Amino acid sequence: MSQPGDPRDPEALRKGLEEWERQTLAPALEREGERLPAFETQALHWPVERLYTPLDLEAAGFDYLKDVGFPGQFPYTRGTRPNGYRSQLWAMKQVTGFGTPEEWAKRAQYMLDQGLSGFFIEYDLPTTNGFDSDHPLAAGEVGRAGVAVDTLADMEAALDFDFSKLRHLTSVCNGPQPVNLAMIIAALEKKGVDPASFTLQMPNAILIEYTCVGRYIFPPEHGLRISTDVIEYTIRNHPNWVPISVISAQLYAARANPVQELAFGFSIAMQYLDAVLARGFTIDEVAPYFSFVTGVDMDFFEAVGKLRAYRKVWARLMKDRYGAKTREALELRITASPGTMSLTLQQPLNNITRLAIQMLACALGGGGYTMTTPLHDEAHALPSDEAIAVGAGVQKIVAHESGVADTIDPLAGSYYVEVMTKRIEDAVFAEIEKIDRMGGALAAIRTGYFQRELAREQCERNRALDTGKRKLVGVNDVERRSDEESLEIFRVDPESERRQIERLRAVKARRDEAKVAEALERVREAAEGDENLVPPILEAVKLYASQGEICDVLREAFGTYMPDSLTTGV
Amino acid sequence: MGGEPLARVGGEPLAPVGGEPLAPVGGEPLAPVGGEPLAGAAPGQAARELAERVLAGHAASAARLIRMVEDGRPEAREALRELYPKIGRAHVVGVTGPPGAGKSTLVSALIAELRRRGRRIGVLAVDPSSPFSGGAILGDRVRMQRHSTDPGVFIRSMATRGASGGLARASWEAELVLDAMGCDVVLVETVGVGQVEIDVVDLAHSTVVVCLPGAGDDVQAIKAGLLEAADLLVLNKADLPGADDAERWLHVLLHSAKAPAPDAWDLPLLRTVASREEGIPPLVDALERHRAYLERSGELARIEARRARRPFVERVRERLVARALEGLEGPEALRLLAEVERRSLDPYTAADRWVEARLAGGGGP
Amino acid sequence: MNAAAVSERPIRVLLAKLGLDAHTIGVTVIARALRDAGMEVIYSGLKQTPEMVAATAIQEDVDVVGLSSLSAAHMQHFPRVVELLREQGADDKLVIAGGVIPAEDAQRLRDAGVAAIFTMGTSTDEIVAFLRQWAASR
Repeated sequence: MSQPGDPRDPEALRKGLEEWERQTLAPALEREGERLPAFETQALHWPVERLYTPLDLEAAGFDYLKDVGFPGQFPYTRGTRPNGYRSQLWAMKQVTGFGTPEEWAKRAQYMLDQGLSGFFIEYDLPTTNGFDSDHPLAAGEVGRAGVAVDTLADMEAALDFDFSKLRHLTSVCNGPQPVNLAMIIAALEKKGVDPASFTLQMPNAILIEYTCVGRYIFPPEHGLRISTDVIEYTIRNHPNWVPISVISAQLYAARANPVQELAFGFSIAMQYLDAVLARGFTIDEVAPYFSFVTGVDMDFFEAVGKLRAYRKVWARLMKDRYGAKTREALELRITASPGTMSLTLQQPLNNITRLAIQMLACALGGGGYTMTTPLHDEAHALPSDEAIAVGAGVQKIVAHESGVADTIDPLAGSYYVEVMTKRIEDAVFAEIEKIDRMGGALAAIRTGYFQRELAREQCERNRALDTGKRKLVGVNDVERRSDEESLEIFRVDPESERRQIERLRAVKARRDEAKVAEALERVREAAEGDENLVPPILEAVKLYASQGEICDVLREAFGTYMPDSLTTGV
Repeated sequence: MGGEPLARVGGEPLAPVGGEPLAPVGGEPLAPVGGEPLAGAAPGQAARELAERVLAGHAASAARLIRMVEDGRPEAREALRELYPKIGRAHVVGVTGPPGAGKSTLVSALIAELRRRGRRIGVLAVDPSSPFSGGAILGDRVRMQRHSTDPGVFIRSMATRGASGGLARASWEAELVLDAMGCDVVLVETVGVGQVEIDVVDLAHSTVVVCLPGAGDDVQAIKAGLLEAADLLVLNKADLPGADDAERWLHVLLHSAKAPAPDAWDLPLLRTVASREEGIPPLVDALERHRAYLERSGELARIEARRARRPFVERVRERLVARALEGLEGPEALRLLAEVERRSLDPYTAADRWVEARLAGGGGP
Repeated sequence: MNAAAVSERPIRVLLAKLGLDAHTIGVTVIARALRDAGMEVIYSGLKQTPEMVAATAIQEDVDVVGLSSLSAAHMQHFPRVVELLREQGADDKLVIAGGVIPAEDAQRLRDAGVAAIFTMGTSTDEIVAFLRQWAASR
């Protein structure tokens, strides 16, 4: 027989709740009121109730076995690893990349020596936009936002470190990804490194660039074709590499809320999936190659709910929509990191606290097999050595000192967390359906749907910060003062830009021009036909064709993309 | 204006296609463009100098004059008056169609091809003003920016500022200014979303309607009225799937209307991929053919009559409405309205009485 | 009264991104705020050069030229825009800048003729008020 307050007896619970509201809560409210007129989640603006109970689970139709299940089993709400982080912790990665290729190689070696097993390599703006360092638009940008890589010679210099300790390398280059891939393959060949000895991960998800980042080169259909070529080539030739990474974190950085991030991100992923499947693969062959990168924001429970929903939605899409059967296809591969959007320029030490809280959310939500920490001085500066050490420390403290990694998905069963997870999941599926009706991600990009939604979020968030509705400690909880004083930006030594241009000229002077011209012609033929672009680009790269030259050939074949007033997002 | 005038738009004058520049309709100088005499001597000198610089092709002056017209500044009328007798060379091409058709990209490609043929180009890109705030975000230039430093190209973004019909009220005068500054072709880009948003048809000599392949009946987004407005029909983004279907469908639509008279204009349907500049030279050829047709058939005279009439009628309407609405808060009007409210007088009779009283000279500016 | 002289004289603003910086959140938010304040905003897209910006500002006869940079492009390009406007007799236009601009650069930009710097985090209300006040005082 059930006792009052027994969760198996909803009536008793309801009575208990009412009594509490009347007898205990009401007088307290009478005395103290509440500190805000309304409580909302930060990004989704969903109302936050003061109390969640089993009644909320009941109202949501919660079913433990269906909605939560067990770790390593469909729908993977509690994680994709059967033993959580008890067998292995997540791999700890960090972003880096600046300056000359030699400086980057030194930084890479330093990080390996620090115990990091993997990192991201980012490229400068000219490189990701398909321009060489001597292009007029490159002035002032060479080696600033990342490494400058014009030719294979630069890639050889950048990869000049000890590969034996490396487990993961993520090469973040979207527009010219096939060129980037080709240069890495060629450089490894020259170094005698076995490509199978580590995992190369390439975002290669150009569709997000059209939506919100802006480092696109060619029109979206051609961007999709190029991405698909890279995926196909990699699956057939380097099956342990990961040729696609949907960096939904970029949608997050463009102010997408968790529902938008997942719905837009998955719609984009499905656009690639469909393109790759059309090349003659099965879903079980291809799905395991898809990985995701996400960032979490400060709202702790939105973050945890998002990560759990992320796994569920992927699993259900793979199973119900694509008919995937294998574990590898159904399991989400994801890298989560604390997001940079809430890091502030003012009082930068506060960012370490923010990172810790977000890292905790990642660990509790299950942020995947690898996680990264952005660095506390990262807002528009590139990381100092100290920042790298602090970032690594945040990960290690959460992993080793807090105990959260010692049990699997400990927040499961929390009434709030389960309500949040389910609600996000349902909203994501509804939004995906909406995008389906538009014709999918490519259609949504062409009609500017993603761009408009993001623009709206951007304006709303800005308004919320301006009015103080959303708090940012050190920024809008104090008298606004000019932040000119505390701004430091990373400046490239103009000498180093000059040297990079010199190096490019020297490489061009040494090579066989006739052969390069022939190789570029082959690339053009391939572009105008439908053969895979990677092999002819690989040949051109080995002859020291520059990535600007190769991209120019592609520009002629595909055209250059310029958004119009609908798709510009402004 | 100060400073060095910019190089004359386009450099050396070139003979436009078809020979002689179009003479203004009627030959005789027309009555000065609108405006009762301004109270207090406005500096006619300044207006004349502005007009002269526009005629010399000075871009900043043309830009300033268009701004003055847009802002409703009375001095603008003076300058326009100087320019009006001198216009008539420009071939005005309207470019309209549903959003997403790629109009701006097409316009950009047209500019490139027309420049290759030695033409000087003016562009008016019109977008709606916000009905709430009166402001606007004008982004059509984004796709034309590679032409922004070409002295032979002048691009001007305009917000409708409350005008309906798809054009800004000042678009008419703006076209006049671009003509006066030496443009051979003026491209006017607007969004056409139905039968009411096609004022560009009245402004243009040639109207290009741009559509794109869709999922079969998306091409029905080309509402009947828009199709009728077309002198040339362009199926852009013709590399997309569904292009062949769309083309077939458009042919059906075009030829389901009654057969045209033997020497009437045969409306061409052209396929383009504007983002790759494919199909553009045939489009420009077709535009030139259309212009030749207009001259040959006498259509041109009818169009010029229409183009002369429209701003005249608008201005008449504007002034009469303004006069008729004056004093609507005053005692006479209120008395009339009170009778209507009491139902001792019907609103129609009341309105007729009011208007007749105003027109008979009751008060004035 | 001449109905044609009714003054709807919205302030016209050009927003431009120079160089390769592709961050558009700032211009997006500001463009909409200015539009909601009744201004006409001409956005000319990414990858603009100073020459393109000056030519655009003149053709559009804008009142204000807003330059945005979140990379290091500002010292490279912004003074050149001011210079070009001056050369072409368009120095009655207000040039303002926004983004990530450190203190010593801000001073150099002001010395070069950039009237005001609005770093990230400035409220859009502040920018609107500034522009309105400037327009009214002309």
